[in-house]
Amino acid sequence: MNRILAVARKEFLHILRDRRSLAVAVLMPLVMVLLYGAVIDMELRDLRVGVLDLDGGDRSRELLRATTSSGFIVEAERLHGRDEIEAGFRQGRIQAALVVPRGYGEDLARGEARVQVLVDGADASTAATVANYLQAVVALVNRDLLRDAGLAAPFGARTRVWFNPELVSARFVVPGLVALVLMMICALLTSIAITREKEAGTLEQILTTPVTPAQVIVGKVLPYVALGALDCAMVLMAGKWVFGVPMAGSWWLLAAYCLLFIVIALALGLLISARSPSLRVAMMAALMVTMLPTMILSGFVFPIASMPGPLQVVCRLLPATHFLVVLRGIMLKGQSWFPLQTAALVVMAAVLLTLAIRSFRLRLE
Amino acid sequence: MRALRCLVRKEFLQLRRDTALLRVVFVLPIFQLLVLSYALNSDLRNVRVGTLDEDRTALSRLVLDAFPASDVFVAGPAARDAAELEALLQAGACDLAVRVPAGFERDVAAGRTPSVGIDVDGTNSSLAGRGAGYAGAIVMREAERFAAANAGPAASVPRVATVVRFLYNPELESRLFMVPGVIVMLVTIISALATGMAVVREKELGTLDQVLVTPLTPLQYVVGKTLPFGLIALVDLALATLFARVWFHVPMLGSPWVLLLGVLAYLLVTLGLGLLASAASNTQQQAMFTVWFFLVFAIMLSGFFFPVDNMPEWARWLTRVNPMRYFMDIVRGVLLRGAGLADLAGELLTLLGMGVAAFGGAVVAFRREGVRG
Repeated sequence: MNRILAVARKEFLHILRDRRSLAVAVLMPLVMVLLYGAVIDMELRDLRVGVLDLDGGDRSRELLRATTSSGFIVEAERLHGRDEIEAGFRQGRIQAALVVPRGYGEDLARGEARVQVLVDGADASTAATVANYLQAVVALVNRDLLRDAGLAAPFGARTRVWFNPELVSARFVVPGLVALVLMMICALLTSIAITREKEAGTLEQILTTPVTPAQVIVGKVLPYVALGALDCAMVLMAGKWVFGVPMAGSWWLLAAYCLLFIVIALALGLLISARSPSLRVAMMAALMVTMLPTMILSGFVFPIASMPGPLQVVCRLLPATHFLVVLRGIMLKGQSWFPLQTAALVVMAAVLLTLAIRSFRLRLE
Repeated sequence: MRALRCLVRKEFLQLRRDTALLRVVFVLPIFQLLVLSYALNSDLRNVRVGTLDEDRTALSRLVLDAFPASDVFVAGPAARDAAELEALLQAGACDLAVRVPAGFERDVAAGRTPSVGIDVDGTNSSLAGRGAGYAGAIVMREAERFAAANAGPAASVPRVATVVRFLYNPELESRLFMVPGVIVMLVTIISALATGMAVVREKELGTLDQVLVTPLTPLQYVVGKTLPFGLIALVDLALATLFARVWFHVPMLGSPWVLLLGVLAYLLVTLGLGLLASAASNTQQQAMFTVWFFLVFAIMLSGFFFPVDNMPEWARWLTRVNPMRYFMDIVRGVLLRGAGLADLAGELLTLLGMGVAAFGGAVVAFRREGVRG
């Protein structure tokens, strides 16, 4: 036990002496929460729409007034010709254009009029939403027309959002960041720390001392576990105080699952360092195996259900995917029973640990 | 000039021998392009809809059946009562639940305008907002259809119809939009990270001191050191654009020369920043961390997957100092919209200014390094 602590103390001093890496390891998660919480917002707020009125009659002015006063559209730019639309798209000044054709007023008097909505499809992440908004605005106009005719819609819809009524993106980002931070600190930093000693040849010096390989490994990873736990707590606190992310379930349960995930991340870090010939390869591999999948394939931001089939299988093989379901369940829904996810995580931890220990022993003796 | 040529030659020889790095630099981008382009998909698909039919009439079935018929939703579990529906949402068995209340058809017939309940699981906010929007639109469309079918020929209400057209991307595939973003990210990572680590490696190995005693000027050293990585980034850009075109059918509507101009200006920035990071670091780990720290925020604030228009004012201000954002606009503009030199003049000039500043800063930093060493 003393030996483990001695190794841990040495590693701890290493971490403390590299001020810049320490600053990145501590600050990055914090800045990430603040930025991600504020920046990730899939709802559109400020729409820049160009308006081209080729009719110019009373009815078309009415329509445009309804459009611009709906609250959906913030900046409306008046256009004077069809060629201005594409120029606006190319320069990125407008996202969509509403075109009222000549003869709109007469057509409406006759029963049905058409308006054209042109959307910049190059920006696909917003195009569909923009089109939906503009259609919703026209639907409001239609509703008014119906009401003026003394008719009402036969039924409507009432939407209720559970667990996150205002759709605050921070509530959904913070659990993802916990997974990301734990991966970053426990897998990435550990693999770098061990590979560096291997490359510098100091690992062998340590092994000539009475410390056993297992003690070295445990001692070396302990400080990173502490750092990971610290970062994790910081992310959770920042989420709670800055963005009001709730904690519907039990803190203890959350801590237990975090610990399980830390074991997985550490095993992954050990595995990478055991297999990497050089520090550079270890860094690249760690980035590829830990960061990118955790950010992109875990359901952190992009819904897994929308991905093609084979990729969905890959997603399910990632520990972070299951960990995220658990985190969101505990924090936002107050769930406490995750049989499927727990089984998946435990199996992954067991497999990765076995692999890591096996490949490590080979190298050390 | 001859000294510079020698340094470049040495760099290339070194690169050619580093097969692990070469593999990372050439094979990984294509792999990433493939995986990321499929994964970074903001289209909504396969949203599972749980149902609760308390009315059990023809009308309630009509409304509920409209959901799986759309291409966004798939049928999920059917609940028998409100408590079960809640449990389904709680357990994550469905993303969205539709509930038709008892007496729905009767209320419609009596003109009481009842509502279909749409319950959304808000824990996945990228899905919840838009999913709720689509669901509401489906109910509205069914209501309109029902009203039209029952109104008969007597009622003539004026109506405005919308014709929606998506320019540049008629099928609205998010892939068309994401692939150029992935290309930008790859060029950035390769040029900034590789440069950042290469110089520090020389520092770590002590060979930088040897270089400093040669007649090479700081400018020559900086240019010679970055030229190979700049070339690699250019080749990667060409490869990735070609691959995007062949595999994902991403068009190139604008002129390749404008793109080349853009990437040259951008490489000045990224290579300069990579050099600055390495000048400020003592170990490869520090250099990687520093570059990476900036990359995470540059990517996030570039409009790659989070639209800049949605960001709060202060974050939008931050994107204005982010070189990646300008390059993103250039690549998307040239590839997808056919933007020309005149359309992108502002972006190009901004990048050029940033590039000169970053590269100049790196030269100054190395001059100081030389004095110290």
